[in-house]
Amino acid sequence: MRPDTSSPLLLAEGLVRDFELPGGALFSRKKILRAVSEVSFSIGRREVLGLVGESGSGKTTIGRLVMRLLPPTRGRILFDGIDLTALSGGALRSHRRRFQMVFQDPYASLNPRMRVREIVEEPLAVHGIEHGKAARRERVAHLLERVGLSARDMERLPREFSGGGRQRIGIARAIACGPELLVADEPIASLDLSMGAQIINLFSSLVETEGMSLLFISHDIPVVRYLSDRVAVLYRGSVVESGPTEKVFSSPRHPYTRLLTEGAFSSEPATPQGELRSPDSSAPTVSAGSLSAREVGLCAFLPRCGEARPECRILPPPLYSDGEGGEALCHLLQGEIAWLPLHPSNQGRPSDVPIASSR
Amino acid sequence: MGGGETLLCVDNLTVTLATREGTIEPVKEVSFSVGRGEAVGLVGESGSGKTLMGLSLLGLFPPGAKPPKGRILFEGSDLLSLSPSRLREIRGQKISMVFQEPQSALNPVLTVATQMEEIYKSHTALPSSEIRGRILERLREAGLPDPLTVSRSYPHQLSGGMRQRVMIAMALALDPLLVIADEPTTALDPTVALQILALLSRIRKSSGQSLLFISHDLSHVRRVSDRVLLMYAGRIVEESRSPIFFSTGPRHPYGRALLASRPEGATLTRKDGPLAAIGGQVPPLWDLPEGCSFAPRCERADDLCRSVLPPWKSEGEGRVFCHHPVDTPLGAPVHAA
Ligand code: SF4
Ligand code: SF4
Repeated sequence: MRPDTSSPLLLAEGLVRDFELPGGALFSRKKILRAVSEVSFSIGRREVLGLVGESGSGKTTIGRLVMRLLPPTRGRILFDGIDLTALSGGALRSHRRRFQMVFQDPYASLNPRMRVREIVEEPLAVHGIEHGKAARRERVAHLLERVGLSARDMERLPREFSGGGRQRIGIARAIACGPELLVADEPIASLDLSMGAQIINLFSSLVETEGMSLLFISHDIPVVRYLSDRVAVLYRGSVVESGPTEKVFSSPRHPYTRLLTEGAFSSEPATPQGELRSPDSSAPTVSAGSLSAREVGLCAFLPRCGEARPECRILPPPLYSDGEGGEALCHLLQGEIAWLPLHPSNQGRPSDVPIASSR
Repeated sequence: MGGGETLLCVDNLTVTLATREGTIEPVKEVSFSVGRGEAVGLVGESGSGKTLMGLSLLGLFPPGAKPPKGRILFEGSDLLSLSPSRLREIRGQKISMVFQEPQSALNPVLTVATQMEEIYKSHTALPSSEIRGRILERLREAGLPDPLTVSRSYPHQLSGGMRQRVMIAMALALDPLLVIADEPTTALDPTVALQILALLSRIRKSSGQSLLFISHDLSHVRRVSDRVLLMYAGRIVEESRSPIFFSTGPRHPYGRALLASRPEGATLTRKDGPLAAIGGQVPPLWDLPEGCSFAPRCERADDLCRSVLPPWKSEGEGRVFCHHPVDTPLGAPVHAA
């Protein structure tokens, strides 16, 4: 089957996800946290999209939304043209085999009492692939070899493997039904350096030889740069910059992307200036009495931004595009040749932006 | 060693542990020194013994440990032969530690100020008013812009980066001579980690402390260390000056392979081919191979490596524990004409 390359495999449009914050005094109105705010992106076939962000960026939530492990508060997820957000129950299940997830912590995501064979076989059984014991066994053996394990590992338990070995088991399970899209959330963050490289190579070969698409969620910039065709940089729930990987990392336009790449790609000894330029990302909860910039609709990066302009304190940042796949959410691009604001009519909807407002 | 005077000298230290799998030596014949004011990076993957090495310097050994062999000379006296009370004194005042997860090193039910007060009260005779002033000063030095608010906070009210700053303020409370930081940046976001690295460097430069920075993250070690020690399976296998280690490249095949397994800084993409991953995994300490422990994963291994322990070879200020160290500098040496 020739893949239809004209339309993206996955299209996320205006994803929003709110969470009710626990706690709060009795009878007080509920606090809402907007973890993901108007996030849109697409992933083509055989393409790797790197989703970069630090803690609190919403990157894990986005992975879970795409996997339909969580429903979005608003927005659509089109998979191969089908609106996943409109599906549920059996209809959703029949599509599930086409997109699978690889988790960060292979310890937590594998059932410790199940043998490797059972772990990898389970999705085959659920989706009714390869009836018959012998055929399934053969398929499992093949899958284990594909991820760098061996058929001899079938009857072993997860705890008999190193972190890297467990991650391979998780990947074998994820690719068991031949998915078209893999969503990997920090898959190498808990692995040793030498293991990490092996797993990255495995993902790379799944894309190159198997033609899978990959949503690679990570805070590890050098690895994202190596693996991804395009990247989206997240800050506090919004995509602040996106585009072809090389463009974003070699000439970042958003101050936050610059901060991230400066750290990742310069080997300069850390300087006190660097420290002063970038105050801590997360404000202390002890002084969270007043509304943050993000809560009133301004750029969420404002408190840390060393390049803020007067308009940053008054207006939400518009989304600019360079017409060649590059987009950035920042006032600095105003007046830059080649960068034009996108949907100006959509900008500055204060009612849309509040984050931790009361309902 | 930058010509500085030696502060710490670890001499042929071996730590032996009895485990269910058998007797292991997570720290094996380790020797190195740290000069006054010097920052030394101790690099290794999990299971290399680097964390235990750091704890040994505080005289802390895990349950099941036999009396360690070798010496740990700190300002000339052997920490391993000191009385427990004298050791405690040094541990509090002269050597302090910053841990990976400040969450677990800080007491959750006490405010920052109370915890810092305890440090001063148990080691000094300073009056309370003086102590309060010092606490705020230390917190400010650790880059906390509002020390008063922070001092009144409980650890859970602070962000990860702020907690790590508090941890550093506490470690520096008594002006120690040596700070041991064990993976202090690992649990932090990348941009926050960089700030913590900058802070550690700045404080060290301004107050002349020595730093032993233990980490698996080569890019972080590169940023803060004057010298690098590379550990594998309990042994130090290479020692080198930082600029040489990271620009000319490590001479130990393991160091080379580690560096190559990260796409660090390079503009390499997956289209250029796979990363040079090291095959296999770190051998379990109870089942180390004959000869060089790295031999099963090493491209250069031969029969000699598989049967005879490598010798130490020195070169300039560095040394490498290998039969066949790498001679070529990192990257292709390009000579115009
Ligand atoms: S919009 Fe303004 S505050 Fe936000 S990143 Fe751009 S320049 Fe900085
Ligand atoms: S001694 Fe031999 S096996 Fe060990 S690192 Fe050196 S070359 Fe490789």
